[in-house]
Amino acid sequence: MRKKFSIQSAAILLGCAAFAFLPIYLGNYYIYVLSLIFINIILALGLNLLTGNSGQISLCHSSFMALGSYSFTLLNNIYGLNPFLSTAISLLFVAMMGFLVGFPARRLSGIYLALATLAFLALVQICIEEFADLTGGIRGLKLNKLNDFLYTSTFSYLVAWALCLISIYTAFQIMNSKLGRNFDAVRTSPYAAQALGISVNRVKLIAFTVCAAYAGLAGALLSWVVGYIDPVEFGVSASLRYITFIVIGGMGNIYGSILGAVVLTLLPEALRFVKEYSDLVYAALLLLSLIFMPKGLISYRQILKKNTVHA
Amino acid sequence: MNSVIFFQLLISGLSVGSIYAVVALALVLPFKASGILNFGQGEMVTVGAYTALILTAMGIPFLLVFTLTIAVGMLFGLLIERCIIRPIMSAPEFTLVIATFAIGLILKSGIRLYWQDNLYNIDSPFSGGTILFSGLALNPQYLWVVFCTLCLVGFLSYLFKYTNLGKAMRGVAQSHDASRLMGIRVERVLLFTWALATGIGAMAGILLAPIVGVNPEMGHLILKALVAATIGGFTSLPGALMGGIFLGLVETYSGALFGSTLKNVIPFILLVCFLLFKPYGLMGKEPVFRL
Repeated sequence: MRKKFSIQSAAILLGCAAFAFLPIYLGNYYIYVLSLIFINIILALGLNLLTGNSGQISLCHSSFMALGSYSFTLLNNIYGLNPFLSTAISLLFVAMMGFLVGFPARRLSGIYLALATLAFLALVQICIEEFADLTGGIRGLKLNKLNDFLYTSTFSYLVAWALCLISIYTAFQIMNSKLGRNFDAVRTSPYAAQALGISVNRVKLIAFTVCAAYAGLAGALLSWVVGYIDPVEFGVSASLRYITFIVIGGMGNIYGSILGAVVLTLLPEALRFVKEYSDLVYAALLLLSLIFMPKGLISYRQILKKNTVHA
Repeated sequence: MNSVIFFQLLISGLSVGSIYAVVALALVLPFKASGILNFGQGEMVTVGAYTALILTAMGIPFLLVFTLTIAVGMLFGLLIERCIIRPIMSAPEFTLVIATFAIGLILKSGIRLYWQDNLYNIDSPFSGGTILFSGLALNPQYLWVVFCTLCLVGFLSYLFKYTNLGKAMRGVAQSHDASRLMGIRVERVLLFTWALATGIGAMAGILLAPIVGVNPEMGHLILKALVAATIGGFTSLPGALMGGIFLGLVETYSGALFGSTLKNVIPFILLVCFLLFKPYGLMGKEPVFRL
């Protein structure tokens, strides 16, 4: 059993490494789409830790991403920082914001939490619009590309690839640790978790911080890859899109986050000719999968596995 | 601030607050009855406004437009409850919150596909211009909004106090099982509650349309209505009314005194403060959990 596992993991590692050589063979457009997939995987991982594992509804995931994007771009444009350094600082900054949001939010649950996160989303949007001389307002913000090499699409693709792998690895580490089991306990029953000596409030706070850190990383990467910030991308419908990732992929499951992000990033690209329908398609898919497939696409893998064992 | 401006702001604050209160009522009704917060309620306002737009363009007289719009809103509520909400009634809260959000987004993007992002004007039924009253300039549409809200409150209190249906709704809000034992058809009452709520939402749409114009983003109003409902405590109809009026007044006066940035931010600051220090609002009761 153990040997089989190591062969499997070697195959997975080789498969992941193969992605690093893709820029040699693929055109710019495919590299761009792959980078977007990596970014969306990071987003979905973070949201799934908070919503799928700890059971906390968050409607402000896109705001955390916005904070990441804006801080990356501003650090780059105003201070001319190295993009790696800006990414790290944005990540820390957004994690801190997640901590600040989680601080009041940890006392709430259910619809009240949904409301509080919605209020945060509205506040961030108002701030983006009101401080237009800093953020560019609704016209958006362009990234100043200082050094040609660091900002090429190939290089940003490689960075997104590496950080995505690191994020997946970290997510697995979190879920296999005591913290991950605490997340699951808080979702299953906060009262039982409390009775077992788990500090529910602290676990919720950590979940918010970790989720925000993932979103901040994804936001910084998005600015790096795309080079332009469109504030429309950070509204409620964007938050709902990220929730669609994890609902369709599979809640509380790391493979589910990856699967959902990959499928739902490719789908709109494939349906480019019906771009104006994208919100409609996303919302309809979300609704249908909530009704007919509440455990997500990943549940089919488990059904298949069960069938083969019995056969 | 002299007294004329003070009263002027009072009238506009009351009318803005009335609209918040109407939508907040439409949020609280189904929440009380079935424990589902309809995040798609804002889009019912939009649906109401666009229905009024279509019907007015057909040259139908105003009162008929008003009635038909509410009827269309109720029809939407019936369909949503019967086809989408009822199959997932027993699902976890997360599913329900996200499902109502998705319904709202579907309605909004459907409307946007057909009408684009254009702003349409509906003429106010009162074309007589402003009414001058001892130095105050009163917009008749504002008075009409306040009047409709008062009528709605009167209708709701009559419904809940004196009719069998209203009593059944109160019973369902307390306990589904006990109501069923008393011979109340709970599913039918829930269906009617949703229809009532979406009808009220559509009415808010037709009241709001002449003031801000018809556009797909009208549903943003739900954020304010949610704040109003939270201030009122989410499970109380008088609370929702009070919350709405309070929010409208605070917003109007702070806008006049400190400028528009604060006016936009203040509802959310209020919301966060209430969630932190008084999460069950002015009139709500803390629910008792059984383990």
